[in-house]
Amino acid sequence: MTRRVRLLQAASVAALLLLWEAVARAGWVDPLFVPAPSAVAGAFARVGGPALGGLGDTLAKTAVAYVLSVVLGVGGGVLLGSLPRVRGAVNPLVVALYGMPKILVLPWIVLLLGFGTTPAIVYGTIHGLFPILVLVTGAVRDVDRQLVTVARAFGARRWQLYRTVVLPAIVPTVLAGMRLGIVFCLLGVLIVEMFAGVRGMGHVMSSLANGFQAPELFAATALVSVASIVIVLSLDAVNDRLSHWRGDAR
Amino acid sequence: MTVVVLRVLIVVAVLLGWEIAGRLANPLLYVPPSAAVPALRDLLALRSYPDFPEHLLLTLREIAVAYGLAIAAGVGCGAALGLNRLVGRAYGPILAALYAVPAVVWYPSLMLFFGLDAASKIAFGFLLGFFPITLAVLAGIRQVNPQLITVARAFGASRLTVFRKVMLPAMLFTLVGGLRTGLALAVIGVIVGEVLGSKAGLGSLINHAYGLFRTADYVALVLVTLALIVACDAVASALERRAQRWTHLQ
Repeated sequence: MTRRVRLLQAASVAALLLLWEAVARAGWVDPLFVPAPSAVAGAFARVGGPALGGLGDTLAKTAVAYVLSVVLGVGGGVLLGSLPRVRGAVNPLVVALYGMPKILVLPWIVLLLGFGTTPAIVYGTIHGLFPILVLVTGAVRDVDRQLVTVARAFGARRWQLYRTVVLPAIVPTVLAGMRLGIVFCLLGVLIVEMFAGVRGMGHVMSSLANGFQAPELFAATALVSVASIVIVLSLDAVNDRLSHWRGDAR
Repeated sequence: MTVVVLRVLIVVAVLLGWEIAGRLANPLLYVPPSAAVPALRDLLALRSYPDFPEHLLLTLREIAVAYGLAIAAGVGCGAALGLNRLVGRAYGPILAALYAVPAVVWYPSLMLFFGLDAASKIAFGFLLGFFPITLAVLAGIRQVNPQLITVARAFGASRLTVFRKVMLPAMLFTLVGGLRTGLALAVIGVIVGEVLGSKAGLGSLINHAYGLFRTADYVALVLVTLALIVACDAVASALERRAQRWTHLQ
C-alpha cells in the first residue's frame, strides 16, 4: 500500500508538471501569465539571489514575531486560565479579536508605525498571538481539578503547583498552538510586506507580480511555499518526538 | 450578571481611554470614537462615499461566488479523498502540506493571472474557503461507523439511501462546522484581496480612505465591514444550530 501511495503521488506530480508544460508549449495559456515549468525552473537562477535575501529577511522578522507571540500567548494564556473572574470578563473580547480579520487594522498599523520592519513584526505577532492565547487559556482552565486538589492537599506551594501539575499538563496544547502560530506569523509578515513593504519576500513577490515577471514570481512562490512546509514539518517532527518522550516517561 | 457588568465596564473603559488619549495625542491618527460616529453616519447617509452601496454589493457578490465555488469543490474533493482509500492516502498529505503554506503566498500569482478585478478576489476567497471545507468533509466521512454502512447495505439499502440515512447524519456536525469556518475564511480572503489591490469593493474604499488620510472614514468603513462579517457568521451559526437539532432528531 505504501509503495503504491508513493508511486501514485510521484506519478501525479509528474503528470501535472508534464501536462502543464504541454499546455504552455501548445500555447493554450498565455506564457505572460502562466509560464511553463521549464521556464519557471530557469527563473530560479535569475531570481534566486534577491529572493533568498528577501526570504531571509522575512524569516528573521517572522522569528521575532513568533517568539513574541509564543511568550505573550503562553504567558497571557496561563494568566487568563488561572484567574476565572478575569477570564469570564475578558475571554469573549479575546475570542472576538481572534475572529476579527486583522487585515482591517493593517492600514492603521502602517499609519502608526510606518513602512519597514516594525509593522511587519507587530502585525505578525498579532496574527500568531491569538490562536496560542486562546488555546493555552482553555488548556489551563481545563487542567484536571483533582490533580490540583491533590497537589494542594499535599501542601504544594503555588509555584510548585504550576511547575509540577499545570505546566506539564498544558505542554501538548502549547505545542499545538506553536504549530498553528508559526503559519499565522509568517502570514502576517508576508501580508505587511505585500501591502507596505520595502524589503522581504512579500515585497519581492508583489514587485514581480507588478512587473509581470511570471516565471520569476512562480519561482519565488515555490521558494516560500517550500520554506514554510519545511518549517511546519520540522515542528511536527519535534512534536512527535516530544509526545513519544512524554509517552515513554509514563 | 456581575461578569456581564464587568465586560461592559471594560468596553466602556477602553472607549473612554481611547477618546481621551486620541484627543490628547493626535485625533487624526488615533480617531477617537467621537470622530468615528459622525463619519459612520456620513458613510451610511452616502455623504462621504456616494457609491458605497455598489461597492458593498460587489463585495457581497464576490463572497457569494467564492463561497459557492469553495463548497462545490470542497465537498467534491473531500468526498473523493474520503471515499477512496488509495486517493485519500496519496493526496491527503499533499493537501495537508499545501494547507501549511500561508495562503497569501498565492495571492500575487492569482492577481497576475486574474487581474485586478473581481476574479482574483473570488479566486483567493475560494482558495481560503476550500481547505477547511475539504478537510471537514474528509474528517466527517472518516468518522462514520463503517459497520453501520455494511449493515445498511446488507439490508438492501441503495448507495443513495446509505448516504442520506447513514452517512449524512453521522457527519453532519463536522460538515457544518467546516462550512462555517469556510465561510469565515472566504469572507476574509475576499477582503484581504481587496485591500491588497483592487479597483472596487469595500477593501478598495478602505485603501482609498487610508491613502488620503481620511482616517475617520477609514474607521467607519472598518466598522461596516466588521458588521458584515458578524452578520455572515450569525447566519452560519444559526444554520449550525439548526443542523445540530436535526442531528438530534434523527
